[in-house]
Formats: sequence, C-alpha cells, structure tokens
Amino acid sequence: VRGADYVIRRAGFALLTIFIAITINFFLFRVLPGNAVSDLARVPHATPQLRHALTVEFGLNRPKWLQYLIYLRELAHGNMGISFAYQQPVSSLLLNDLKNTIPMVTIGTLGAIVVGVGTGILSAWRRGRPSDHVSTNLAIAFYAFPTQFLGLMLLILFGGLLPTSGMENPYAGVFGPESEIARLQDIGLHLILPALTLLLTLYGEFTLIMRSSMLETMGEDYVLTARAKGLSDRRIIARHVVRNALLPIATLIALSIGWIVGGAILIEFIFSWPGIGLALWQSINQRDYPMLQGGFLILAISVVLLNFLADLAYFKLDPRITQ
Amino acid sequence: MRVPKILAVPLAAVTLIALASCSQSSGTPNAEGGVLRIGTSYPIDSMNPFVAQSDYSYMTFEYIYPQLVQYNAALAIVPDFATSWSQSKNGLTWTFHTVPNAKWSDGKPLTAGDAAWTINESLKYDNGPTANSAGVLAHIARASAPNPTTLVIRYKVAVADVLEQMQQMSVLPPQVWAQYFTGNGAGIKTFQNVPPANGQPMVSGGPFELVKYAVNQDALFKRNPNWWGPKPHIDGFGLQFFSNDDAMIQALKDNQVDFIGEYTPPTAVAALKRAGFVVTTTPSLSMKTFIINTNPHKTTHRELLNPLVREAIEYATDRQQIIKTAWLGLAEPGSTIIAPSDGTWHDTNLQPVPFSLAKANELLDQAGYKMGSNGVRIADGHPMSYNVIFPPDERGTGDRTFEIMQTDLSKIGIQITQQNMDDSAAFNAISAPNSKYETFDMAMWDWVPPVDPDFMLSVLTCAQLGNNSDSGYCNPAYDKMYAEQSTLLNPAARRALIFKMQQYIYNARPYIILDYPDVIEAHSKKWTGFTISPVMGSINSLSIQTLLNVHQS
Repeated sequence: VRGADYVIRRAGFALLTIFIAITINFFLFRVLPGNAVSDLARVPHATPQLRHALTVEFGLNRPKWLQYLIYLRELAHGNMGISFAYQQPVSSLLLNDLKNTIPMVTIGTLGAIVVGVGTGILSAWRRGRPSDHVSTNLAIAFYAFPTQFLGLMLLILFGGLLPTSGMENPYAGVFGPESEIARLQDIGLHLILPALTLLLTLYGEFTLIMRSSMLETMGEDYVLTARAKGLSDRRIIARHVVRNALLPIATLIALSIGWIVGGAILIEFIFSWPGIGLALWQSINQRDYPMLQGGFLILAISVVLLNFLADLAYFKLDPRITQ
Repeated sequence: MRVPKILAVPLAAVTLIALASCSQSSGTPNAEGGVLRIGTSYPIDSMNPFVAQSDYSYMTFEYIYPQLVQYNAALAIVPDFATSWSQSKNGLTWTFHTVPNAKWSDGKPLTAGDAAWTINESLKYDNGPTANSAGVLAHIARASAPNPTTLVIRYKVAVADVLEQMQQMSVLPPQVWAQYFTGNGAGIKTFQNVPPANGQPMVSGGPFELVKYAVNQDALFKRNPNWWGPKPHIDGFGLQFFSNDDAMIQALKDNQVDFIGEYTPPTAVAALKRAGFVVTTTPSLSMKTFIINTNPHKTTHRELLNPLVREAIEYATDRQQIIKTAWLGLAEPGSTIIAPSDGTWHDTNLQPVPFSLAKANELLDQAGYKMGSNGVRIADGHPMSYNVIFPPDERGTGDRTFEIMQTDLSKIGIQITQQNMDDSAAFNAISAPNSKYETFDMAMWDWVPPVDPDFMLSVLTCAQLGNNSDSGYCNPAYDKMYAEQSTLLNPAARRALIFKMQQYIYNARPYIILDYPDVIEAHSKKWTGFTISPVMGSINSLSIQTLLNVHQS
C-alpha cells in the first residue's frame, strides 16, 4: 500500500509538472520582446496587408488568455497547431526532427554512459595509479570543453575522412541507384562525428560520479567483510561495489535519456544535423510559437516521464525510500 | 485609345541567347552532364511562394517556374517567358507576348492564360493567404489572356517598375494550384508544394524540376525534359543546407559540395584560394547601416535630432579602417541608400564624408555639447552615452565594425555600448513603444534590397513605420517624392527624382551607410560558367543564366 501511495503521488506530481510546463511554455515566449509577425513581415515586398494577414492568421490579435484557452483546447484534442514559419502541422514537423535526432543522441548518450561508467569503475579500482590520473584528468578536460569547440575541432580534424554535415549523402538514390544497406551505412558514417562529440561531452560526468560513488562504496564495512572472506578484487568490485555504486548514477542516466528528445542543439548546429535541437533553435529565432510550444512540450514530457521512471527504479533498487 | 509603345523587341531574345553562350569557352565544347552540388547556410524555408521568405526559396522558384522577364549580367531586364512586351501611352496597360508552344513538365500547355490566372487568383486573396505576393502585384486591376501567347495586364495607376515586379512573379501551374484557390483560400498557404511521395517530380515550367526536398536538409533538381528554352549543360543540381559557415566551407574543402555562395565569410577567402578553389567576388547591392533615431517625437536623448551630432558621428566613422579590418578589403565605402552596383540608380555625386575626428569635435563644440571630466560630452544635462541595438545578422564583421566605431567615437566624447538581441527583439526595441520609435537611440543592421530602387526608397517612408522601417524616419516631403517616383514612366525623370531622394537622406542621416559588402563565393575548379550577380552571387533569384551555362571544366 505504501508503495502504491508512493507511485500515485509521483504520478500526480509528474502530471502537475507537465501542466505547469505547458503553461510556462505558452507564456514564456510571448513575454519575450519581439513577435512572429515582425520577423516574418520584415522582408522585401512586405505590405501592411501581409502584416495584418499574418497577425489574424496566427490568432495574435486575440487576448492572450483566449489564445491560451484555445491552445489548451487544441492540445487536449492532440493538436499542436500549425507552424508560423513553415505553415505545416507542428506534430509532423517535430516527428520528422525527432526521427533524425533520436538515433544520434541515443548512440552518443548510451556510449557516454558505457564509457563513463566503465572508466569510472577502472579509475576507482586503480585509484592513485597513473591510469586513474590519466582517466580522471581526461574526463575533467572533456567535461570542461565547450561542446561547440570540441565539435569544431572534430569537424576540422576528421573532415575529408568522415562526413561532417547532414544526415546522409542527399544525391545517392536520386542521381543513381542506392541500396537500403548502402543508405544505412551512409547514415552510420554521417552519425559518427556528432555522436562522438556528444559522447565525449557527456562521458566525463559519468566517470567522475561513478568513480566517486565507487570510492565511497569501497569504504563500506560489507566490502571490508568481503575482503576478509578472501574474495578476489574482481569479484568484490563486480558483485558488491559496482551494484551499490550504480544507485546515484540511476538518476543521472534517467535525466540524460530524458534529454535525448531535446537533441543537442549545439551539436546539431555544428554538424547541420536536422534534428529537434536545430529546429528549436530556428524556431526561437523565428518566434515560431507553435513549434516552440510543441518542442518544449515534448521535451518536458520526456524529462518528467523519465524522472518518474527513475523514481520507480529507485523504489525498486532502494526499498529504504518507502520506509 | 491606347497606343502601344514597343519597349522590347525580339532582338532582346537574341541578346539573351548571346549572353547565355558568352561564358562558354571559345572553340571547345562544354563537358555535358554532371550534378552541381551547391552549399548554402541559408535554407529554403518553404516551397510555397505564398509562404516563403528565404532567398533560396525564390532562387528555386526562378528555376522551376516561368517568370515573364529576367535580369542579365548587367542588371538590365531581358526576355524570359515573355519574348517581347509593350505598354500603352498612359502606362496603364501592359501587353506581354509569351513563348509559343511551351509546356509544363507534365506535358500540359504552358500559356499566357496561366500567367493571367496566377495574377488574378493572387489578387483575389491578397488581403489574406496571398498577401506575401501583394507587393509584387501592387496596383494591378486585372490580367487577361486574349490568346495563348498574349498576356494583358491592366493597372489602376501607372507604375514605374512593372518589369522589375514581373521578374519576381512566378507563373504557377493551374492544374496543381487551382484546387486551393477556392472558398476562403485556407489551403493556399498550407499546401506544401513539394514533390509527391510517389517519387515523381513537382510540375515545373522552368529549366529544372524539383525531385526531392527535405526541410532544412537539401533540395535536388533534375533537368525538365519539357523545358522550352535552351537546354542546360548539367543533368541537375542540388542545394545542401548548412547551419553554419564553418561546416559549409569544410564541406567544400572535403569535396562534399562544389560551390558555396552568398554567405562565404571574408575570413575564409585566403584559405580557400590557398586550397586551390576559385574565389569570386563582386560588389553587392547590400549595405551595412548605422542607424540613428531621427524621430522628432523621440522622448530621450533628443540631442540626436540635432543634425550636427549625426554629422559629427559620420565624420568620426573610419570607413577605410572598417573595410580593411572587418571586411579584409572585400567591401566598398558606403555613401547613399542605393549601392553603386545598382548602376545608374546610384548617385555618384554623393561621396562618403572623409574621416576626421578634428572636424567631428568641431561640430560637437559648435552644437554646444561640452566635454565632461570623464571624456564623455554632456548634452542637455546628461552624458552622450548610447546603446546600439545589435542583431545577430551583424555578428562577425559587425562586431569588428562596432569596435572601430566605439574607439573613434570615444575620441569625440560619445560613448556607445553594444546591445545584443535577436532580430525579432531588435525590431521590437527599435520600434518601441507600439511602433512609435520613441525610445531607441542607435542600431546597426543591413539591407539586401532588390535591383529596382523602389523597395530601398520605401523603407524610409512613413507608411513603413512598424513594418519595414528600422529607423523611425518619417518625412512627408520624402514620402511625396517616393510616391511620385513610383509613377514616373520616363526613366531619366525617375532617376533625377531618385537622386534627389538619395541626397535628401544623405543630408538627413537617419542612416550612416557604412559600407557595401562584396558578394563572395567559391567553387571547385572542376566547374566553370558562373555568372556572378550583385544579388546572391551566381545562383540567384534574378535570372536562370548560371545554371543554364554552368558546366564541367
């Protein structure tokens, strides 16, 4: 019963958070200076008719509270609206962007988790030895590098060896035949640099937290007991230390996965990766409110949902929570 | 009775053909075929002409839809779908004779009737879904096609730049679009106008047809088999969109693209030349402006309304240093609101004022603004210290420009501070409150105007307050001249009036025109036959010359 209470409370909290995020998303961009019409109407041949037509078309001539109610009503019907800039349904535009983002960010993030947790374990295991120093300092360095700097360096270093922009060679398959396998290989090659940039940017955090958590766990009495029992180092680390040290990593992993749908704006910008991060960046510049509302709604839902799942995982991993 | 006056004769068609072949190397046949891969950091935003804003959307329309006329390399209007044209004596009726027996790519006849249909349907919805094209069709009463090769356009008032406007109007295929021009026209803007999912190309009436389009990624074109004009040498071309210049330049170096245009930064020129690429530059129509609020209703820092202050600021602007440092020499000093590359519309008598801090100090002394103890002059009891609104378009070269101006202005007792904000916020800050332009002091921005000066002249009219005005300038005398020039059918008379308007703004200084940046583009030596233009470079929305002529070396 206590467990069910816990789950219901967390679920209620998650729903409330999503509603607050929806509301903030709506008002946040509207209180910023500037508006969509001034951006779209500042072009050659713009006429007062164009400005007026856009204002009416976007519904921006209505009071903000009415716009908000209409937004909530449409959202309840699953309608995210029409993009101001593209004049296309937000849901289909964002779905396309998400399809591009998810493989790249998933590979980068999962790679960072695997590399980070692995190097964290090794560092803690080899504490004070040269390999620990090298691993820790590298992790700190990559953690500290600005993403755009790292991305640009990789772009310059690997330019010519690997594709540096876009998601695939656009010409293959149009001006000549291309098999599906060749296309997948091509996408895979295009994916290497952005995913690697993300991996290098993220893994340091996992290394440092995993190392610290491991060291804390290695000082526990039960580890000393295991040693006294004559268990091998490898067995102690694998069976007793790592499993307990993973607990604080769970939240970080859940949060990182939650951010996958948000894309990696800077990485997508550097490598011209047509994902949701790039779309949101362009939408902010264009004051494309429906795209921003839709994009941030998806982001909010995924982060809240993954946090909720992390809470549930904690509940499973650490029964002390409900005690 | 209206008496047609022949303005263009079939000789112009001969000129076009000669121009189309002038870039071919003499005596050697062109290498046929191949796909030209173009990189740009400015994506197509929509393939729908009633939604699109991007330069590259309009460049695409130029190549897939017929335009009645186009520009040649000398920026003169020459035939395209219309082979000749005439106007009535009073300028209210224009008659265009179009190419006979032309076809759309789907095999349907392409006639003057299609052009009339496009104009009339667009006019019907110009307060709503087609408002995007209302400027191009301004003052048209109605179009008709008495036969398949004759288009008659009737205007409500005489319009000076009819041909320039028609250059920007794409004839749309009624067999595709008619279904959306019904009822309230709600479908006109939401129609994506992209190749259908079945892999077929879009219906085209230009030399190429769009076969693939992925938003913010790429657009690919193949030769239109039913194109009625000279056959392009290439099999097709592609536009690949980059979100930043560094990636685009790297892609050129890595042989992922063959050509980059328009937004190639000056800092990349030397490296690209060293790497063996052909780098081409030409003065552009665009201009960088330092904007000073001249609105008489301005509520703060009203000393900026004093012409002596604005003159002093211009004397303290070291254009040569800006061009040398910020543009690495790839720009021309600015003077008037019509760039020298706009040919005879630019008044060459108006020269940039020379850089002179002594003269600037003298002017401010004359205005009675004494130097404060901290080196900043005092005007009406407050320091002459101003924020300069700075949108992202100006970053890079604009940052260097600002630093140079900031240093020089500090030497005459004026302090300026850079205020970064995005485009939308910048326009909001300039026009605040509620399009009254009462609070901003200064800004830096730019204009990339079309060839005909009408648009550039219009941005300083009162009618553009809250719309295209980024200065708040409003003067009924100037507006009167603007209205008059737009109706003058005699080019010499119109030119004289436009010179007068340039002089007017030159003296009033709502803008200090800093410089006219060059168009910079680069391409692989494997390709040749590019015709560079002061608008967008070789691949532009003014003509179809480059992609008809370009071929492998």
